Amino acid sequence: MNLLSIGISHNTASLDIREKMWMSNDEVKEALKQLKGKYFNEAMLVSTCNRTELYGLTPDTQVDDAGLKKFLIDFKGASGVVTPNHFYGSLAGGSVSHLFKVAAGVDSMVIGDIQILNQVKEAFNLSTEIGAMGPVMNRLMQATLHVGKRVRTETTICEGAVSVSYAAVELASKIFAELPKKSALLIGAGETGELTMKHLIGKGIGRIKIANRTREKAEALIATLEAHAIGEVLDYEQISEALRTVDIVITSVNSPAYIVQPDHVRSVMKQRSNNPLFIIDISVPRSVDPSCNKVENVFVYDMDSLSAIVDKNIEKRKAELPKVTTIVREETVEFFKWHNSLQVGPTIQELTSAIEAIRHLEVEKNINRFKPEDRELVEMLTKRIINKILHQPITNLRNGAQNGARGSETVTRIKALRDLFGIEEKDTHGG
Amino acid sequence: MLKFTSLFLFQPVFRIFSAFFILQSEFMDIVTLVDVLVVAMPLLYAFLVGIYAVSFFRNAPAITRLKTPALLFTVGLHIIYIAVRTVAFDHPPITTVFEIMTMLAVCISIAYTYIELRTKASNTGMFILLLAFVFQLVSSFYIKDLTEIAPILRSRLLGFHVSTALLGYTAISLSAVYGFLYLMLYREIKSSSFGLIYNKLPNLEMLEKMSSKSEIFGFIMLTVAIAIGLIWLPKAFDSFSYLDPKLIGTMTVWALYAISLAAKRKLGWQGRKMMIVSLIAFGFVFLSMTVINMYMSGFHSFY
Repeated sequence: MNLLSIGISHNTASLDIREKMWMSNDEVKEALKQLKGKYFNEAMLVSTCNRTELYGLTPDTQVDDAGLKKFLIDFKGASGVVTPNHFYGSLAGGSVSHLFKVAAGVDSMVIGDIQILNQVKEAFNLSTEIGAMGPVMNRLMQATLHVGKRVRTETTICEGAVSVSYAAVELASKIFAELPKKSALLIGAGETGELTMKHLIGKGIGRIKIANRTREKAEALIATLEAHAIGEVLDYEQISEALRTVDIVITSVNSPAYIVQPDHVRSVMKQRSNNPLFIIDISVPRSVDPSCNKVENVFVYDMDSLSAIVDKNIEKRKAELPKVTTIVREETVEFFKWHNSLQVGPTIQELTSAIEAIRHLEVEKNINRFKPEDRELVEMLTKRIINKILHQPITNLRNGAQNGARGSETVTRIKALRDLFGIEEKDTHGG
Repeated sequence: MLKFTSLFLFQPVFRIFSAFFILQSEFMDIVTLVDVLVVAMPLLYAFLVGIYAVSFFRNAPAITRLKTPALLFTVGLHIIYIAVRTVAFDHPPITTVFEIMTMLAVCISIAYTYIELRTKASNTGMFILLLAFVFQLVSSFYIKDLTEIAPILRSRLLGFHVSTALLGYTAISLSAVYGFLYLMLYREIKSSSFGLIYNKLPNLEMLEKMSSKSEIFGFIMLTVAIAIGLIWLPKAFDSFSYLDPKLIGTMTVWALYAISLAAKRKLGWQGRKMMIVSLIAFGFVFLSMTVINMYMSGFHSFY
């Protein structure tokens, strides 16, 4: 199979290099348009902040690797910064299993990243839009999505939060049933606090309140989060009041002493008739006294405990790797089975008709030498002979194709067969 | 939950079943059928709990798919078992504590089936069905084939008393299981040590809601059952005494629930405290059903 892939990713290039190679949807479409016909019959290009990868089906076995790299670098005007050494590439089976691994999220920066499958899907869609897909790429797309689905249902590699902010949100949804009916208060600002809020909004939190020493900062944050409809800015003095009603509190402040004490929490809990309170303390050093966790129905988590969750989850995901590898292997074999059968059928048909043509010609030439009553017998006999001769090679070829692991062998056989018997090469990629 | 009350309007359903089984009885001795089912039911429940346990502890999609069909099969057969029993011995199995236990098991399973089908969440099944299994196991071990029953038990009030008590006990059994799960999850979240419970169970709020809703429903049903009992008892038994152990046991359970519900309303008790009370009260229920009924026989044992 003339499938080829080249690309750069976090495995081979630093962020500034990857940024240079990142392509918008329009750029992807434009690049594919230029590549199609020149290098490829079918092609797909996926570009995310962690990788830019090109998959394509070349018209013949000649691959202009260097030309392709140069094309991509020039297309992004990144010569000088990005060099061909930043690229990796593979052929045929290597490309297929690489794409499957990418879709499964095991080639991602954070193992089991759930977003990548959507990005790959989107890349296939872009390619479809501009007509750069073909039968092989379409099949490859189906197979890739199938891998993604299997990985998500058969393994737990995508489960468990792998960032502190998401771990906090996951905890929140283990405490509360319906986040849309809950409210959250963010004290202070900071990146993790903002991210946590973002995730909470993503989960549909009902209301958010933000309190900051500088009111403008809080207002700016609400704007960044695009949360005007559910957001509210509080003054620092209103925090105590707010503690009575909110369900989740995120503290991210720089304070020499604990700003939340157990006694305080105890009295707050009475006022809020003991409704559960989830406190996420992401300040370093901590701003909430850890002994607040002892108060009934109060759950306090700090940076350390959240990081511990994340570490454990990453370990768990890594433990799932062998399962994913098996899925990728199985699906690669399946894909090649399909691809081989694509070539085997026509070859057998053409071989049979080529031999039949020879038989037919020779019989016709010589049929007059036989008595009229024997002629039917000659026809039958010659047919039987060629059938017997062809039987074994055809059977072997079919069996070989059904065994995907020996895919490359089947390709060699088909080539040899066509070559030896002088059957013209057909464009099998075109279907 | 209220839908289940219709299940306890026994008579029409049982009549249909009786007709069916009387027709069949030419081919198979109905008492033999009961004997087979008595042994089969706990085995089936054990198998069912096993399936739920495997699915809970391991990531086994093939087994997980079996859960709901196995549940429906077991519940279906259990209902048939009770129908067959009723026909074979000419009374619904509500006259002894072991007959009641199989009724309780089937009620718990039916209630759980409803919850599973409704919420599509089946990870709590193992715990709830385990309780049904225990009740069925005890019942199957000790149940007797009684064809003669005390005339006193032919009262129409008894039907109401038993139906409401059964609904009540089913609800508070569920409440106890959910309460137990709540406490386990609460502990895991508090101590940030996350295990299977954390991964597989729904959230705290939902567990609490399930537990307290069943508790309230159970409490109302028990209240009705006790009220009917108190009206009926002095009329039915000459030797009736208000100091009967069974009555005291039941009243204690009732009082515990009453106090906890009052504390919830007045003192804002929530979460852990409520769950603990619910578990303690359930412990008393179990005691009252087993020890008091078996060994300190008062009016509530009839044989």
